[in-house]
Amino acid sequence: MDTIVFALLNGLIHGLLLFMVSAGLTLVFGMMGVLNFAHASFYMLGAYFAYTLQGLVGFAAAVVLAALLAGGVGVAVERWFLRRVHHHGHAHELLLTFGLSFIIAETIKLFFGNHPVDYRVPKSLDFAAFAIGELQYPFYRLLMGGVALAMFVALWLLLTRTRVGIVVRAAIYRPRMAEALGHNVQFVFMGVFGVGAALAGLAGAVAGAFYTTNPNMALEIGVMVFVIVVVGGLGSLGGAMAASLLIGVVTSLAVGVDRSAADLLALVGAREWAQGIGGLLTLKVSSLAATIPFALMLLILLVRPRGLMGEKN
Amino acid sequence: MRESLRRLALAAVPALAALAPTAQAAPVKIAILETLSGPQASSGQAFRAGVRFAIDRMNAAGGWNGEPVQVLEYDNQGGPAGASDKLKAAIADGVHIVVQGASSAIGGQITEDVRKHNLRNPGREIVYINVGAEAMELTGEKCNFHHFRFTANAQVRTKALVGAMKQAGTLGTKVYAINQNYSWGQDMERAIVDHAGFGGYTVVEKTLHDTNKIQDFAPYISKIAASGADTVITGNWSNDLLLMMKASKAAGLKVRFGTVFLDQPGNVANAGETAIGHFIAHAFNPEAGGADGARFVDEFKAKTGHVPVFVEPQAVFGLEMVAAALKATRPVNGALVVNQFAKALEGTKLKTSMGDMSVRAADHQVLMPMVVSVVTKDAKFKADGTDMGFKPVKVLTAEEAATPVQASCKMQRPD
Repeated sequence: MDTIVFALLNGLIHGLLLFMVSAGLTLVFGMMGVLNFAHASFYMLGAYFAYTLQGLVGFAAAVVLAALLAGGVGVAVERWFLRRVHHHGHAHELLLTFGLSFIIAETIKLFFGNHPVDYRVPKSLDFAAFAIGELQYPFYRLLMGGVALAMFVALWLLLTRTRVGIVVRAAIYRPRMAEALGHNVQFVFMGVFGVGAALAGLAGAVAGAFYTTNPNMALEIGVMVFVIVVVGGLGSLGGAMAASLLIGVVTSLAVGVDRSAADLLALVGAREWAQGIGGLLTLKVSSLAATIPFALMLLILLVRPRGLMGEKN
Repeated sequence: MRESLRRLALAAVPALAALAPTAQAAPVKIAILETLSGPQASSGQAFRAGVRFAIDRMNAAGGWNGEPVQVLEYDNQGGPAGASDKLKAAIADGVHIVVQGASSAIGGQITEDVRKHNLRNPGREIVYINVGAEAMELTGEKCNFHHFRFTANAQVRTKALVGAMKQAGTLGTKVYAINQNYSWGQDMERAIVDHAGFGGYTVVEKTLHDTNKIQDFAPYISKIAASGADTVITGNWSNDLLLMMKASKAAGLKVRFGTVFLDQPGNVANAGETAIGHFIAHAFNPEAGGADGARFVDEFKAKTGHVPVFVEPQAVFGLEMVAAALKATRPVNGALVVNQFAKALEGTKLKTSMGDMSVRAADHQVLMPMVVSVVTKDAKFKADGTDMGFKPVKVLTAEEAATPVQASCKMQRPD
């Protein structure tokens, strides 16, 4: 029982973290129709900014500043890079962000080296929130989850309850009409891109301390974030949330399942046969945990290509 | 002007002809076929640093046949496919020796490609110097005459680790095996099960997981806690080890870790105080090396700017054995005959600060001393700029560390 509670909690929090990164990606896609390959790079930038700044201004201020800086880089990328290639079409935008992700990763290596840097949870936040059985549950994980939830609520309110939100949504769905009504759509695009980058930066600053801060972190989380955006439905914030939680919980639970397809076949008395065949049939579910999200994506693409909550096909 | 040019050209012909015999004296070419870009580049670059250091030393001592040994670098981009491509390029460039270490998956590809090349091109053989791929198959089913492994393997590492931890009284009776799901991790899992009798423990649970893809190790930690294990033995490296240490710290998990790669730069700093009390079986510990070890450390530090850690010492030792074997191989018509070099390498002995090293002719596995160390604050050499370091608890001689030749190795030797 303890194990299941733990697994659920772990999965939920990891899912919330994944949501923090995918929120920006799905917003930018909804707005500009382009998958931003450099999005996870902002996550990495956030972590490195916070690592560099924490010695100067303290942890909390470093996290906030890192998010703002990552957002600033995002704004600059939109203003001086993406806008220039916009009229060439989506393929060029895609290639541009793809190249950008490499440049950011190599720049990081140039300044900080190839190994993980020593960015850790500060002592004042490094304690157990509660214990179940023998295991403690770290307070910092709850904090990460809390930050993600606060972010989700704030974004949701901003988009659905404020004038800014109305303008942004208008610019996303009918850019020409919004422009005709006197709104600066280019500015809105830049703003949304910047906010998306800042959110990823915030996630990086918070998670980099708990996991690791290394030049590969963009690559590690990037793939999973794409899976989430596809599963949740491109452009849907609610979908991204649902998909993040789903993937977080499923992966976490799968680790605890030491069963294989052979055990399932045993119900119809075919265990011997399955074990004779070997291969996939005797592979434990737990050893496939990190692969399950991809299988899920495949399934979604087959039966519901627009994703869980997507509106576009 | 034109006339003078022609005259010059004519004059050059006999001069070139006179040079011809010495021009035939081909220098030895060594290819470093490493992972130099991509996510695992840090491992590849560590191997490169060690190999480069040893070759520079070799050249400072006069190279081979009066000429410096040439080093060529090829980036295998972290995968067997890239390695296979770049091996072809290296062969086209006329290399005699290929060196690689990061990843057993890549090592498996190279050793097969080298074997096939040598079968098809008698007289133009190449040798694969493996400085880090530790899967058992490389000296088992895939063993061949032109592969030499200058590093330990899963069985050797586990035997050393289990023996020393048992002696230190910290092993306990319940061991959890968690490893990466590919040839190396699977071999580690098998080795941990195989040594259960020797260490007097039971393996309470075994886990294989995806390699360097998992971000959140918390689910695995709760699984370890549920198993009630005293000790976790793992062959994990890079992020898979680091994240596991961090997650176990966050959860307040009270187990000992027995590891193979805890000295990879960044690990101790990131794990913090969690790392204290954990064990590692490695090829070199400067504190155990005495005056010779200190000299090696100083020389390495002068060249590269840091103390040799992680896989660097084993790469240096391996290439020093290569240097010794080259020295013992006489040139034929000014060139290196690779098969003669390989035979010389089989009989090469080297004395390092850790003890005596030699090659076992039956499967080309190096017999090398191993050190088991524990992370403490009173270690002489600190890691990653922290106040912690690796303190040696046991040094095993090459004979003590060795495990038997695998029955699956059926080596075809050239005449």
